[in-house]
Amino acid sequence: MQDRSLSYLLLVPAFLIVLATTLYPLAYSLVTAFREWDLTKQRRPGDFVGVDNFGYAFSEPGFQNSLWVTSVFVITSVILTLVIAMSLALLLRRKGRMHTFTRVILILPFAISPALIGVSYRFMFNPEFGVIAKGLGAVFPALDGVPWLASPDLAMAILVLTDVWHWAPYMTFMCLGGLASVPRETEEAARIDGASNLRIIFGIVLPQMKGVLLVVAVLKTIFALKMFDQVVTLTGGGPGTSTETLAFFIFNVGFKWYDMGYASALAWILTAIMMLISVWYVRMLLSERKMATA
Amino acid sequence: MRKTVFWWVERGLLLLISTIVLFPIAWMFLTAFKRPRDAYSLSLDFSPTLSNFVTVFSDPWNLGDMVLNSVIVASVTVLIAVPCAALAAYSFSRFRVRGRKFLFFLILSTQFIPAVVIVLPFFLMFRSLGLLDTRLALIVVNLAIVTPFVIWMIKGFIDAIPTDSEEAAMIDGASRLRVIKDIVLPMAAPGILTSSIFCFILTWNEFLFALILTRRDAVTLPVGLVSFRTERGDLWELMSAAGVMITVPIFIMALLIQKHFTRGMTAGAVK
Amino acid sequence: MAEVQLVDVEKRYGSFLAVPKQSLTIEEGEFLVLLGPSGCGKTTTMRMIAGLEDITAGDLMIAGERANDKPPKDRDIAMVFQNYGLYPHMTVAENIGYPLKLRGMDRKTREARVQETAEKVELQALLKRRPSELSGGQRQRVALARAIVRTPKIFLMDEPLSNLDAKLRVTMRAELKHLHHELGVTTVYVTHDQMEAMTLASRVAIMREGRIVQLDTPKKIYSEPADLFVAGFIGSPSMNLVEGRITGGRFEAPGVSLPVAGADRGDVVLGIRPEDLQLTDPGAAPISGKLYALELTGDSTLVTLRNGRTSVCTRGPADFEAPIDAPCTLAPKPGARIHLFDKQTGQRLDA
Repeated sequence: MQDRSLSYLLLVPAFLIVLATTLYPLAYSLVTAFREWDLTKQRRPGDFVGVDNFGYAFSEPGFQNSLWVTSVFVITSVILTLVIAMSLALLLRRKGRMHTFTRVILILPFAISPALIGVSYRFMFNPEFGVIAKGLGAVFPALDGVPWLASPDLAMAILVLTDVWHWAPYMTFMCLGGLASVPRETEEAARIDGASNLRIIFGIVLPQMKGVLLVVAVLKTIFALKMFDQVVTLTGGGPGTSTETLAFFIFNVGFKWYDMGYASALAWILTAIMMLISVWYVRMLLSERKMATA
Repeated sequence: MRKTVFWWVERGLLLLISTIVLFPIAWMFLTAFKRPRDAYSLSLDFSPTLSNFVTVFSDPWNLGDMVLNSVIVASVTVLIAVPCAALAAYSFSRFRVRGRKFLFFLILSTQFIPAVVIVLPFFLMFRSLGLLDTRLALIVVNLAIVTPFVIWMIKGFIDAIPTDSEEAAMIDGASRLRVIKDIVLPMAAPGILTSSIFCFILTWNEFLFALILTRRDAVTLPVGLVSFRTERGDLWELMSAAGVMITVPIFIMALLIQKHFTRGMTAGAVK
Repeated sequence: MAEVQLVDVEKRYGSFLAVPKQSLTIEEGEFLVLLGPSGCGKTTTMRMIAGLEDITAGDLMIAGERANDKPPKDRDIAMVFQNYGLYPHMTVAENIGYPLKLRGMDRKTREARVQETAEKVELQALLKRRPSELSGGQRQRVALARAIVRTPKIFLMDEPLSNLDAKLRVTMRAELKHLHHELGVTTVYVTHDQMEAMTLASRVAIMREGRIVQLDTPKKIYSEPADLFVAGFIGSPSMNLVEGRITGGRFEAPGVSLPVAGADRGDVVLGIRPEDLQLTDPGAAPISGKLYALELTGDSTLVTLRNGRTSVCTRGPADFEAPIDAPCTLAPKPGARIHLFDKQTGQRLDA
């Protein structure tokens, strides 16, 4: 039937875009990952060096540091986002004028440019004239004059804070969508059976939200693994290298040191990590669905 | 209803959340209207001024050029990505062709590729083509991120439209293309509009590509923020003014699609 | 108007056989009802005629022309969908006029035709509304109007009344019947409601698991069901079916002893409709048992009696009363029709 050719024809433009803008560069960077290419010395790609670039990564402290930083960042920001988003969703699903107002303004953080979020928080945590730094100092004198962004642990904490501020509202909407699909009858039945509010949330509602929470967790993990914008505008990777995430480190290797081969290899390592997580995600989702239909 | 302790705790929490969300935004807006001297004090007692906006739009900052760059890059990206994505989304949603699942997974999985991976080769390519620091370069790279996302989103919207009306139109004598034009597009219009706005927001706020691929001519607003970090220190009042310029159009759009916001985001994810 | 022929048509989804190879001829001007339980392949068969499903094998002929590869738009058919398939973004008038617009009819003629059709189904007052502002019955009328606004070769109707409430369904049924009489267009109608099938059809095709098990006039299907499935499916309350054996010219089962024609044999199923039975005095009654349930339907009472694994139902007078478990006896009315089926194959056994 003519539909068949049309169905392919409709895919052509989008597929061409994806091919040209994603698959081709992907292949290009894979090839580059196996070459030596110092952009400050060579205009054209250099010799094939096998897996040297990959081998170098695992012996080099900069990469190892960025792996550690990324892990800390991903784990804390995913857990915090998930807990906060779910709690907010439970709080916000009721009806009420204040609830509606809060739901509406929750759209705003996601709409703000992450680079701008980084800049704003940098301003607010400035120890001399930052409104949060000063405010905290006024309320808790012990915190007065704390060099927030100049201390490695605190800088990481603030980086996580900006990320949670940016993403938790978005994830709240996803949780609200999931909550809406939990049938009210199951909760009402539990209430009639005499369960307390907490029992209902933990025993009835959350188990039915497993699928949605899994999706939220994985999406957030993926986004957190790519963390870049706020690192540039908030901490600049510092103090020292304490907030150099993988994406920021790759950026430095590629565009400060101009080591294209090494940067490509690192980029592929990051891709591999993400792919592993996505495969795991699809598997979990599939088994979740099997359980749901069983 | 009797106002129980729980009632007050709930209101308190809502107020706290609203404050946490609104305060950083409000502070930026306030700072944008402060004179430099006031910007560094925490006082709320100041006489508002528009001078920061005048400054950022004049030499040497020339925020106007960046606004123009951002508008052009984001609009053109939307204008290319959304129509292509809508056609593909329709095909994925309605036809059972061979290799469809594989193709869809392929396109979706590109979402999991970190942007740095894509931008490295593009940087090299644009360098040899002399396209660095052009809007064209930014548009091309943005398409990579945005297109799969929009396909996914619009497919969610089309999936939710029952096929009855389309089949009725075919029997009434419409060809497939006519069905798409007369029936599918009007019915999917709210979804397509929502996706377009999402796509615009993503491109507008995009930072990594613009940071790497632009220097002077094609700099967009988020990267422009960085230029207020000078040898004299960070010029917070000017950064805030620029921040307001980045934020206001996006806020307006986000509030416009507020109703479809949740649906758009959960459309693909929950299934 | 046209004749529709399915010649050895078959439908597969991958390895799943939805409709096995079969042939069916729908005559010009006929009102053919495809009747069966859900999942029996009736809708798939109709969608193949419409061109909404590919035909895996065999030929579909419309007015003597092979139509397998024609897209729906070139088949000159009109269809009413179960969920109506209205265009939500168009007004009622635009909905009805859309098929004409697609045929390039000029605006003026189109409006006149829409007006005329709207009058036929009493929608004149609603032409400017959108489907979302209409009730279920009104939407149904719009769908109908859109189908009859032009004169297609064939009408297809996919459970068009199933979303309406019971009362409206009866009214619309009569309107459909009248409309068919008026237009005389070949109509294929899918339903799972045997009442609709019996009242509307010139012929009924009863389907089960993709196969047509009987194709006949409603009268014939009622009086001579081809097998146990049809016997049980048609009629309300459904036919009494009793398993037993024939010895010495009598059918014997727990509580049942009836003279029947036919040779002695075991493992038969006897069928007799509730309306062919009546309550009688105890004595030499051929059917006896204990009263199991009484259901008042208004004009009569449904009386069910049981004896071992035999369960038989009949209609008694509305004022019939008796305690549950009281002994109860039944006999066939004079001229009652007794059906015999093979227990293994389910096929009708003709005397």
